[in-house]
Amino acid sequence: MANNPIVFFPLAFVIAVAALGVLLASNPIFSALFLVLSMVCLGFMFLAMGAFFLGGVQLAVYAGAVTVLFVMVLMLFDLKDNANPIAKGLLSRFLKVSSIGVFVGLITGAVSLTKYYPVPVKAADPSSMESTRVLAVGLFRDYVFAFEILGVLLLVIAIGVVSVSRIKGGTHDRA
Amino acid sequence: MDAMYIGIEIIKMVVIFLLMVQLVPILVWIERRGSAFIQNRFGPNRVGPLGLVQLLADAVKFAFKEEFIPGGSYKFLFLLAPVVALIPGVLAFAAIPLGAPFSLEPFEMFGNTWGPYDLKLQGYDYGIGIVFVLGVSSLAAYSLLMAGWGSANKYSLFGALRASAQMISYELGLGLSLVGILLLYGTFSFNEMIAIQDGPLTFMFMGKETIIPFLPNWGIFYQPLGAILFFVSVFAESNRLPFDLPEAEAELVAGYHTEYGGLKMNMFYIGEYGHMMVASALMATFYFGGYNLPFVTPEAINEMFTGMGFAFNGASLMTTLVSHLILMTKVFLFLWIFIWVRWTLPRFRYDQLMDLGWKTILPWALANTVITAFVVVLMRGA
Amino acid sequence: MIELSSLLEVSLGHYIFLGLFLFAVGLLTIMLRKNMIVMLMGVELLLNGVNTIFLAFSHFSSHTEGQILVFFILTVAAAEAGVGLALAVSIYKEFKEVNISFFESLKG
Repeated sequence: MANNPIVFFPLAFVIAVAALGVLLASNPIFSALFLVLSMVCLGFMFLAMGAFFLGGVQLAVYAGAVTVLFVMVLMLFDLKDNANPIAKGLLSRFLKVSSIGVFVGLITGAVSLTKYYPVPVKAADPSSMESTRVLAVGLFRDYVFAFEILGVLLLVIAIGVVSVSRIKGGTHDRA
Repeated sequence: MDAMYIGIEIIKMVVIFLLMVQLVPILVWIERRGSAFIQNRFGPNRVGPLGLVQLLADAVKFAFKEEFIPGGSYKFLFLLAPVVALIPGVLAFAAIPLGAPFSLEPFEMFGNTWGPYDLKLQGYDYGIGIVFVLGVSSLAAYSLLMAGWGSANKYSLFGALRASAQMISYELGLGLSLVGILLLYGTFSFNEMIAIQDGPLTFMFMGKETIIPFLPNWGIFYQPLGAILFFVSVFAESNRLPFDLPEAEAELVAGYHTEYGGLKMNMFYIGEYGHMMVASALMATFYFGGYNLPFVTPEAINEMFTGMGFAFNGASLMTTLVSHLILMTKVFLFLWIFIWVRWTLPRFRYDQLMDLGWKTILPWALANTVITAFVVVLMRGA
Repeated sequence: MIELSSLLEVSLGHYIFLGLFLFAVGLLTIMLRKNMIVMLMGVELLLNGVNTIFLAFSHFSSHTEGQILVFFILTVAAAEAGVGLALAVSIYKEFKEVNISFFESLKG
């Protein structure tokens, strides 16, 4: 289903416009909301690509928790609307944009001059669980060590975040 | 994938959206009369028989109210928030099967033969029903945040921040309490879960298959703790009492929808009742057998209708209608429980609410997962 | 060189270009914007661009390692966004300022 241009082009257009909105919006909350839009549309594109579990996880984790945190933090900060959000200096701006432009041009050229593309697999049946089952087998059998290390990493990150942002006082402070 | 199929799918999407929106006035009527019954008073009984036309009058009143946009607000966000309040509810409601699938034989219309169709009463049937529904229902936090920020009102902002913090805290409990169901049924898809839950209660005990003949094979008998945790978490997800601190009238005027009036406010209510409907439908699907009656399969109902003399198409249509009515009965039962709890319990304080979410529901959901995993492995074998 | 009709049929190159566009916009956001939180958002865009490219390759061949790697990247990126936001909140509490041009001189 992802090879269908009716699905791909509108979604890709919205994702591209939303990403540009993150860059160019002057109010940071509008940047965050454009980021939310691009995350949600990317989640739907992952669903269309046949990675059903990852599309659902993208919607639930990225679009549903991480960007909510971004928006909440920005609303708590209550920043004033910045007149010139983009860094000053004409030469530095030009150098930055042009270096990224050269990078993008190189890779686009490399991709478009490729003579051999992998043959697209037939579209996965949307009501089958095959891709999820293969993902689960890969995670829990082939790469189980990395999976467990990821769990330990997340535990360390959670402890670190709580200890960085603790404040004295509050209803349950016993010190 | 011909034109008739695409046309039917489009009509189905519109009907599902309208179903959710049109059930809201009925729910509001049930809430107002039911709360009056609980509080030993009458409720609306002037307009129409039993007060049924009251909601129509209210809708007309909402439509004619003055459109008010506060002065220092961000106008685009202020106007966008009620629209975004509707979207996650509808997306989640469309993913849940509302009845048995029904099949059409080839028939003639407009001079062409349209082939045999197998239509489901579901907007779309991805194999990952649960994960998708969890994902889109967590998008509901954005309408609250946009409404609270866009109103340029400190009380709205507090209400919105509290509401979204509450929502993302209880999403964890929600997801974890569903992992027990996933371990038990071994599938993400709603249709397969409903198909597994038929017949009498059957489980493997010490390697021997035990059947309890008088109880149906419903999820509630396998996962009572998970059901309770899920039900409590889903109260918090849809901001209903006893977790409705974001709308606490004594403290925050009306929370995140203080500055809204008229049809924009109505859309927030549609969103909230839509979440309640999704939650009730999920509860019925996971733990109470979905659109099936206990001990009766859809094929048996189909045969009963064929025996009564209906044609193939007619029998299939009647089976779908009966299963839809069964699901709607279960959904309305859970909606009544939502309303009943709202008018019975007092509201939680905010720190009590967050303690409950993180320190009670999350550990119990983890314990439920671990115990379910042990039981599944030990009882069913490797 | 490239005709318009062949551009309409979606192939791997389209997905690579989409992922590349997201990556480039993320890099530009980090380079050009002065607000700390918006720079963190640029990092999220970078990671999403990379996720798109991995999933595109996994979709167009029969290998599923792309999805496994995307799973890891998704998880670690979400956790790292949490850490970045916690640090940003601590910095804001201390200095009342999230503009990075305030922190450009080593002082105090």
